[in-house]
Amino acid sequence: MRILLVEDDAATAELIVQGLGDLGHAVAHIPSGSEAVRAVSAESRYDVAVVDRLLPDIDGVSVLQYWRANGVQLPALMLTALGTVADRVSGLQGGADDYLVKPFALPELHARLCALQRRPMLGEPATQFRSGDVQVDLLQRRVRRAGREIHLQPREFDLLALMMRHPGRDITRKMFLETVWGITFDPNTNVVDSHISRLRTKLNHGFPHNPIETVHGVGYRIRAE
Amino acid sequence: MTRLWRSATYRVAFLHSAAFAFAVLLLGMGVYVLADANFRREQDRTLMPEAARVVREYAEGGMGDLASSIRKRESRPHNNFSYAVIARDGRQLLGSTWLAPVGAGVHSVMVRRHGGPLQPARVLGTPLSNGDIFYVVIDSEELNRLEDQILMLFGGGFLLVMLMGAGSALLMGRHLKRRLERIEVTARAIRAGDLGSRVAVGAADDEFDRVGRSLNAMLDRIDGLVTDLRQVSSDVAHDMRTPLARLRGEIEAGLNAAPDATAQHRALQRALERSDALMTLFNAILRIAEVEGQSGADFAETIDLAALACAACDMYAPAIEDGGRTLRLDVERPAQVTGNRELLTQVISNLLDNAQSHTPDGTAITVTVSGHGREARIMVSDDGPGVAAADRARIAQRFVRLDKGRSKPGHGLGLNLVATIARAHGGGLRIEDNAPGLRAVVALRSA
Repeated sequence: MRILLVEDDAATAELIVQGLGDLGHAVAHIPSGSEAVRAVSAESRYDVAVVDRLLPDIDGVSVLQYWRANGVQLPALMLTALGTVADRVSGLQGGADDYLVKPFALPELHARLCALQRRPMLGEPATQFRSGDVQVDLLQRRVRRAGREIHLQPREFDLLALMMRHPGRDITRKMFLETVWGITFDPNTNVVDSHISRLRTKLNHGFPHNPIETVHGVGYRIRAE
Repeated sequence: MTRLWRSATYRVAFLHSAAFAFAVLLLGMGVYVLADANFRREQDRTLMPEAARVVREYAEGGMGDLASSIRKRESRPHNNFSYAVIARDGRQLLGSTWLAPVGAGVHSVMVRRHGGPLQPARVLGTPLSNGDIFYVVIDSEELNRLEDQILMLFGGGFLLVMLMGAGSALLMGRHLKRRLERIEVTARAIRAGDLGSRVAVGAADDEFDRVGRSLNAMLDRIDGLVTDLRQVSSDVAHDMRTPLARLRGEIEAGLNAAPDATAQHRALQRALERSDALMTLFNAILRIAEVEGQSGADFAETIDLAALACAACDMYAPAIEDGGRTLRLDVERPAQVTGNRELLTQVISNLLDNAQSHTPDGTAITVTVSGHGREARIMVSDDGPGVAAADRARIAQRFVRLDKGRSKPGHGLGLNLVATIARAHGGGLRIEDNAPGLRAVVALRSA
């Protein structure tokens, strides 16, 4: 992935550049909002951008608004120390595709960037996903494994659908909580794991192998075939 | 005096007294002027019939009768009048009283009686048929003395009013000053650091007492906030010390284990967990501050509590069942509230998290939604071991953890956040005995 990082704090930037670099990505670092506005155009060949919200000159929300107004469709994740619900809403309304509050774990950032990159930006949004012998129909909310229909609870279906949209990519617990239940707080209890465990039981009943992999300390992913 | 004048209370009191004295002065002057005019008119009026009587005698008997009449009248013991007849050339023809000829009509003149001193008098001149002028004189001295007495009486009265005014101004000023000083003394004490000082309030319930009581109520509120803030800062610092010390220990251990990669990795792993726990604590503190700072617009959504509780139970049920407990939702009565969906979800989430982390396996946890008139309720109850009555009162305070050894994870802010959210929704949190077990009742204003 070619990642553009707009971040004024040198230490944070270094950690992100090195961390994502170790995972095999090319990270270009820009330290200010004005440079980010100048350096990026609709022709720029980045896959995803990470933009800090609080920049010394032009703030992150303005950078994104400028990009969007000038045809830059680059999916962007907003990084910020501002964690209130109101901040999150204004960030997402300002043109960010995702929002991550500092401090964060590197796998969390990585998982979210991967999810963003795979987001279909143009054309019809897909309604059917297939990975191995698992098949999900978003419109009819149906799941089939090897042709056999599997009945899931609504939230179990949402969990599976989220993983199926990004086969082979890590989905963090936070991402599950935000997408499936719409909550941004930490429920402490292992809510996600218990639901995944039930989903696994239903999905694997009568099948020899398990397509849902546990990513230790991070979350889960569906095995890409 | 300048010092007194600079005091607003004395100034008001003095001005008030001065205004009163001025009014007395005006009144006195008015009475005096009117009385004087009346007295003089009355005096003048007595002159005319007396003159008419004497002139009639002259007309009947001529100058000889006039002379004897004047003598007779002047010798009467209670006669206020004296008489004079003055010829056209100024010679005094009759009468014991000397006066300068002033002509016909009423005049104020100076007269000399029997060669005595000059005295003020009123005189009425009447021309006689032979061209001489007959004067009837009445003494003004008596009247003047009376008026002087009235004037002195008024002057004395005025002086008394002035003195009493000044005296009462001093007394009133001192009283007001003393009442205000009670407030000032309190303010000075608070400025000097004695936050517990309060304005002394009497039993009279006058405006000073009311101001004093209002100020005291305000001071109580501020004192509460300051104490709260102090408590929070010291709690945060205290609660932070232990995990920071542990974190430091882990890092130190990692450094010491430098050649041993596995030990180093283990130490780093633990340090990471410690810093995550610290972050969780910080997030909880920030979350409470966030809720406390939110405005009305953040609490404007109409929410069906039963549906919200159902979704929350749905979310928690697998985890709770995996932990060996049961979860049941009981909607006694549907209830609607106006508020913030995510925060109310967090209320149930925190209560469920508490219920399952402080109870043994096999505990039955129940979420109940009910409405009682203007009150909508969410209750989370369990049949676990419960909490002692003394602890129930303080369990929702910041950083209070009944687990003294702090072996279980947690930061002691979960119930405090629930209480804060409930308050932000115009309600409150009550911790009750479920007999057996514990019951947390979140009372909200129903929409």
